[in-house]
Amino acid sequence: MVQRTVHPVVKTIFMALLILWGISVIYPLIWTFMDALKDNQQFYFNMPWAFPELPLHWSNFSYVWNNYNFGKYFINSILVTAGGTILGLVLASTTAYTIARYKFMGGKALYLIYISSMMVPFSLALIPLFFLMNDLGLINNPLGLILVYASNTLAFGIFVLIGFFRSLPKEMEEAAAIDGAGYFGTFFRIMLPLSRSGLISVGIINVLDIWNEFIVGTILVNDPTRYTLPIGLAAMQVEMQYKTEWGPLFAGLLFTIVPVLVVYMFAQRHIVSGLVAGAVK
Amino acid sequence: MTFTVKKTAAGAMAIAMSLAVLAGCGGNSGSNNSAANSPAPASNTPANTAAPENTSAGGGEATKLSGDFTIQYFVGGYGDKWWKQVIADFKTANPDLNIKEEAGPQINTQNKPKWIAGDPPDFVYIDGPELNDRQMAEDGLLEDLTEWMQTATNVDGVKILDLLAQQPPQYGGKIYNVPLVLNSWGVFYNKALFEKNGWTEPTDWDSFIKSSEAIKTAGTTPFIHTGKYPYYINSSILFPAIVSANGNDYKLFQDMGNSDVEAFKSPAVLEALNKIVELRDKGFIDKASVSINHTDSQMLFLQNKDAYIPNGLWLPNEMSKDVPADFKFGFIPSVTQKPGDKVVANTSTATVAIAKNGKNKEAAKAFMQFIFSVKQASKFAELSGAPSNIKGDISSSSAPDFVKQAAAYLTADSTVVVPTVTFNQDVDKAMQDATVALTIGKIDPQGWVDRVVKVVEKVKK
Amino acid sequence: MKLGGAKLQRKLFIAAFIIPTFLYFCLFTIYPILQALYNSFFDWSGMSQFKDYVGLQNFKDLLQDPIMLNAIGNDYFLVAGKVIGIMLIATFFAIALTRLRIRGAGFFRSIFFIPNVLSVVVVGVLWGFIYNPQIGFLNAFLSLFTKEPVTINWLGFESHSIWMLLPPTIWAGIGFYMILLIAAITNIPESLYEAADIEGAGQWHQFWHISLPLVWEQMKISIINIMMTTLNGSFVIVTIMTAGGPDNSTQVMGSYLYQQAFKQAHFGYGASIGIAILTTSLVTTLLLQWLLRREQVEVS
Repeated sequence: MVQRTVHPVVKTIFMALLILWGISVIYPLIWTFMDALKDNQQFYFNMPWAFPELPLHWSNFSYVWNNYNFGKYFINSILVTAGGTILGLVLASTTAYTIARYKFMGGKALYLIYISSMMVPFSLALIPLFFLMNDLGLINNPLGLILVYASNTLAFGIFVLIGFFRSLPKEMEEAAAIDGAGYFGTFFRIMLPLSRSGLISVGIINVLDIWNEFIVGTILVNDPTRYTLPIGLAAMQVEMQYKTEWGPLFAGLLFTIVPVLVVYMFAQRHIVSGLVAGAVK
Repeated sequence: MTFTVKKTAAGAMAIAMSLAVLAGCGGNSGSNNSAANSPAPASNTPANTAAPENTSAGGGEATKLSGDFTIQYFVGGYGDKWWKQVIADFKTANPDLNIKEEAGPQINTQNKPKWIAGDPPDFVYIDGPELNDRQMAEDGLLEDLTEWMQTATNVDGVKILDLLAQQPPQYGGKIYNVPLVLNSWGVFYNKALFEKNGWTEPTDWDSFIKSSEAIKTAGTTPFIHTGKYPYYINSSILFPAIVSANGNDYKLFQDMGNSDVEAFKSPAVLEALNKIVELRDKGFIDKASVSINHTDSQMLFLQNKDAYIPNGLWLPNEMSKDVPADFKFGFIPSVTQKPGDKVVANTSTATVAIAKNGKNKEAAKAFMQFIFSVKQASKFAELSGAPSNIKGDISSSSAPDFVKQAAAYLTADSTVVVPTVTFNQDVDKAMQDATVALTIGKIDPQGWVDRVVKVVEKVKK
Repeated sequence: MKLGGAKLQRKLFIAAFIIPTFLYFCLFTIYPILQALYNSFFDWSGMSQFKDYVGLQNFKDLLQDPIMLNAIGNDYFLVAGKVIGIMLIATFFAIALTRLRIRGAGFFRSIFFIPNVLSVVVVGVLWGFIYNPQIGFLNAFLSLFTKEPVTINWLGFESHSIWMLLPPTIWAGIGFYMILLIAAITNIPESLYEAADIEGAGQWHQFWHISLPLVWEQMKISIINIMMTTLNGSFVIVTIMTAGGPDNSTQVMGSYLYQQAFKQAHFGYGASIGIAILTTSLVTTLLLQWLLRREQVEVS
């Protein structure tokens, strides 16, 4: 198609702005990497953008790796994120489907309860939550995090998925009914596969939320071997207050960022297509 | 209406601790939460002073200690060298004892569930973020040591109470914890830089201001502090200044600690606040101060960017890895006194205690008797870079010079030693906020007083 | 089909799909929240063994607390700043990357999303270093153009420090909303644009009359979402970067709740702040719904 209406100069300006923003996003990552190779002296006497001096302080990485269990954090993060996302999706999709496609007593009220819970500042619930989990014996237990995180994703998941299920054509259900599929069969065999992109979309957003969550985690996990990455990084930042170690801090940042970036690079297509599919009803 | 929510209470405290992760704290537990009211050791000796547990007056070796013994200690500005060593010594003395260490910069948070679950370590060193002795005592987590302390002796057979430079704090008239570290707030200066430039080391306010002028002229910023944790400047500048302005009588300061409204309205408070205003108006305060944390401020000090820093004596040890080879610390407990007047040392303590629900209180008591000895005191000074709370001459020990300098200050007649004062948390926060506002010219001293008085009145209600 | 059985079956199905989720949600989300709200009627330190019932006293105190009022102002400042900043930039990029056929659009799109996969902790640490007055990036950069080294304390202005929290939050928020908008725009039938092209309508005209109306619903959701996440979540970045300081000038309601409940041992009071956040976000949502209402454009 001919884009005859965009002036080349305008296009160049747009391009320049895009590149500028791109740099603002990419550069901090490069610079995190460079700073992870510096010692304290260089932070105080060299320009922030200066290349690290030789010899490079690779030891910052091993230092962080040995003193903080970043490998363990990574596994914990994966476990908790996967568990919380899947559980949250199962619970949200069933409710969203029912509310979207069936009229029943209390359906509206239920919807309102879920939606309004999104506005409640969750930090308020931290103390009662701690006691609940303590009573259930789920402190320092990945399952505890999974349960709470899944619950926290419900409202948003239901909200988005309802829109999704509503957009599916009514004929589908009718056809399924004629074919003799029961309620459950209709849901699992017809509706769920049809709304896959919506599920992916919600799932991805939940993955990001859970992966990066650390306030609830800080409350429910105190054992360093059970930390997730953000808790580990926050903990490291606290320890930095007792020993200024800029280089290792940046190395720690990198350990936290790189896994997410790798995941993002490989799952990018899914993330974007998921968001694309889910965002517009 | 009053509800009993015992379990809930302990847990909430624990959460408070874990949330402190976000907030951070000094090498010491801050200006206020490490210690006590005015010490009054023997004033309420119980009628029954017989302490059945204290059978081994001669020291730990009389009883055979065995089983598991768990020690929790926070590793902050003082490091863990001394703890490692004293625990090894204690192990040698008690080979049958299985000692477990629970330690680290985050141990206060990590051990939280154990305290809540009623399965705490036997012995705890109370220092670091948000581990608050007053709250632990009030929540019934600590063993009542009132009776035991009256007669308890250390391994050398000396009564522990007689050895202490600062007496144990009391909560509800009871002793729960014993100060192990006696430290002082004060002002550090970059001694090497002073020598190189021929600046005069400060002895009082006039010389402090004069040197600051010279420093500023030479192109260095005279003064930096951590605006993120304003209790550093409060404890090191403002509080000593109040005591000095009140004719070296710290009663006023203690009244402030007891949230006495009138005390805050005293002219001495205004006079002290005006000292900070003077620093501000003369442009001596580094503009970076207001938003940075203590480590950043300390780094800048070590990098010769600033000449003075208000801090606690743990500073050199805390920063030991980053101290340049040619760096020399100078220390004075206070700079706010008039020429010829006494120096004011605002102390800061960290305490040790025994868990009420501990399983090996015998060992915990024996350990307490073990660590409160003159020998361990000088080792503590040497390995932790801070004076311990045990009286005694450390001038011959191999402790760093500034520790000796500080210890000398703390024992000299020309020093007013102010016992650690604990403020109400709200009052303390209000003072911190107000001081920051003062350093950036948002309010004047009267505004400071008005603000804080409002909070004190509310607290008193 | 047997009617009676079908009815029962339907009921069973609905129950099976609704009840487990709801019970689960009640246990892990609603119960802790209600429990916390209940606490707002008490003077409770969160540490003491005793709670004193004080009725509405906490709320009365709240209305007279100057820090709280300032925090509300900061919250709305952040909401306004983020809504404007994020929506403008995200819309701009979304249009640029879809309608303008710019080369490497896919590349930019994936790059721009990166800050969204970073944890707030990471964002806070990075920007904290950019703002660092002595060894930070910004001052060093500005110093290139001045004689004297620049020593601006970006997070330490006596007031307006809150402004400095906008760039990190906008920086971190753009990608997500941009993707949402791109999705909305690509969903618009190409035929509409083709028709406009034929009629000779310019890009600007197309933006106003096709893109904007058709993505309006998406923008509305985005704006409300930004508002809610800001009111409920901005305290994390505040806590990491300024801890509410200097002198409470960057305090937001969430960070003040945190401060009161967990650091100053006023758990009851903190709970009442939580109710204030709840109330403000409800009111704001309704207000925004009303303000942003607009005829829904139907596309066949």
